[in-house]
Amino acid sequence: MATTAATSAGIASEAPRSDFGRVLAQRERRFAAALLAPAFLALLATTTFPLLFLVYTSAFRLDLAMPFTNGFVGFENYQVLLSDERFWTSLLVSLVYTGSTVALQVIIGLALALLVMDMKRGQGWFRVIAILPVVLSPAVVGMIWRTFMLAPEFGIVDFLAINAGLGSKNWLGDPTLAMVSVIAIHTWQWTPFAFMVLLASLASLPEDIYEAARLDRASAWQRFRRITLPLLRPAIVMVIIMRTMVALTAFAAIFTVTGGGPGTATEILNLYAYRKSFTELSIGYGAALAVALLIVTIIISGILFALRRAK
Amino acid sequence: MSGQGQVSFRNIVKMHGEFAALKGVNFDIKPGEFFALLGPSGSGKSTTLRILAGLDAPTAGRVLIDDKDVTSTDARDRDIAMVFQSYALYPHMTVAENIAFPLEMARLPKAQIASAVQEAARKVKIDHLLDRKPGQLSGGQQQRCALARAIVRKARLFLLDEPLSNLDAKLRLETRAELKKLQRSLGVTAVYVTHDQEEAMTLADRMAVFMSGEIQQIGTPAEVFARPNSIDIAGFIGNPPMNLVPARYVDGDVIIAGHRLKTTTTTAGKRDVVVGLRPGALRMTEGGLGARVDLIEDLGDTAVLDLDCAGTMIRMRVSDGNIPSEGETISITARPRDIHLFDPTTRMRL
Repeated sequence: MATTAATSAGIASEAPRSDFGRVLAQRERRFAAALLAPAFLALLATTTFPLLFLVYTSAFRLDLAMPFTNGFVGFENYQVLLSDERFWTSLLVSLVYTGSTVALQVIIGLALALLVMDMKRGQGWFRVIAILPVVLSPAVVGMIWRTFMLAPEFGIVDFLAINAGLGSKNWLGDPTLAMVSVIAIHTWQWTPFAFMVLLASLASLPEDIYEAARLDRASAWQRFRRITLPLLRPAIVMVIIMRTMVALTAFAAIFTVTGGGPGTATEILNLYAYRKSFTELSIGYGAALAVALLIVTIIISGILFALRRAK
Repeated sequence: MSGQGQVSFRNIVKMHGEFAALKGVNFDIKPGEFFALLGPSGSGKSTTLRILAGLDAPTAGRVLIDDKDVTSTDARDRDIAMVFQSYALYPHMTVAENIAFPLEMARLPKAQIASAVQEAARKVKIDHLLDRKPGQLSGGQQQRCALARAIVRKARLFLLDEPLSNLDAKLRLETRAELKKLQRSLGVTAVYVTHDQEEAMTLADRMAVFMSGEIQQIGTPAEVFARPNSIDIAGFIGNPPMNLVPARYVDGDVIIAGHRLKTTTTTAGKRDVVVGLRPGALRMTEGGLGARVDLIEDLGDTAVLDLDCAGTMIRMRVSDGNIPSEGETISITARPRDIHLFDPTTRMRL
């Protein structure tokens, strides 16, 4: 009898404790959810909903110039898109633009970082000056380049070209030069970002392994190839991923400098979608183009992230 | 081996701005010798090693290796291998790749590299860890990896910068013995930097004792221990170090706390001196210097006594079973030849 009582008392005293714990945990979860909710709802409303609405819109013919043809068309926009030569051209322009700007940013950024690392004095100043282009709005950068730098005769670049004996060039009127110009502008603005990230990463590499490598008879090039590059690899891959995503969706600088022209020479996919939607007012097809860009971006970042995980 | 491994430093000076890290250092290292650079931190021993390695350039003076002036030769052309205090392993390479690196830089054929890596790893007993990265190794294993990377190349000079200081006490003792055997079996000239006098004493064939940017004494460990050149060295070498007691010298005797002790050193007339007495050279005897036992540190086979001789603290090492108890007053003396005399102003040996 006594034992039974003791046992039941034991159970009784244990049960409320675990109940209490469960209630506490539940209350805490509820509180956490309440704290999270506003941000979560805001995100849903500003990112997920527009995205879903974009996909939804892309299934319609929504032509503000010819409203009488509007209606649900399913995948028709995408079928048109696949045989749309201008789509493929703009995709190619996007890829060339992204590939060359990212490559230039990493190469120039790394070279600058290596140079600045060896600077005994003035590193701080260099960093401050280098950060300036990054903090400018791309639209402002575009305007500065169009008026100050690339304007015929008066622009600094053209002035230098004339003085170098190359003669005045139509920097934004010639299809090839226009492409080169927008790539140069993007590279000019964003190389400092790569430079800063790589410089920080370089500065964190231990000095002594370079001394060990010198004693191991590695030349400067071998030290760079065998030690610096592999150790910087995570930072370089990170820069490539971040800059690729931004370059694929670049808009403002090109829009203010060339508006995609001359013709479609600098018309990246983003600009094509914009022109289709808001110049030609073909909203449905524009939405399909934007979704296509989204898919391309996801695929490319997926590949890059997979490369990052791989050895 | 591409050279003998003979080293000469001629009047090496190293300035860091106004501060003289080395104030004219001279020494010669014979081929195959295990040479220790011993001194407290900041005494210039690591600077000396870095100048020898070619990692730093001297402000003045010349460095000769095998009678060739290498003062302005880059580190990579000096044919020197080095073990760093931090080990300086390449973090992104496996142990095997780390050890192979110096051979790859020398453009040796792949098969030859593989067998050399195996052999070096076996010598330091890490041949089972070749696929690991440095981050997956213990401190002792990393240290061995650094050793293997240094010995794989068979350089003419083997530099070690406090290689044992990051190991725990037990491992340090084991590795110390192995290091000595390794150096003997390779027959290579080794230069070893340490602030631990015990390491220098046990490992080195000869050693240079550094004090504030200068070499104060060069000699075998036994010589330096038996006849320290200066008060600073006397207070640095030995565990516990030499007792240094101010005293008065009068015609062949020294007077400590009113007690006369005979010495073998002769110097002119009467003067103030500093007397050096090794803790192990003191004897308990009748009619000696009276001293009260303040504290006993029992180390098992020996004991160190802290003695109070009329206000002067003297430490004494006792090894037989005849250990007095704390608070007891004993009488001590030393043989005349165990009494070292130093000049209190120049701090040098008399």
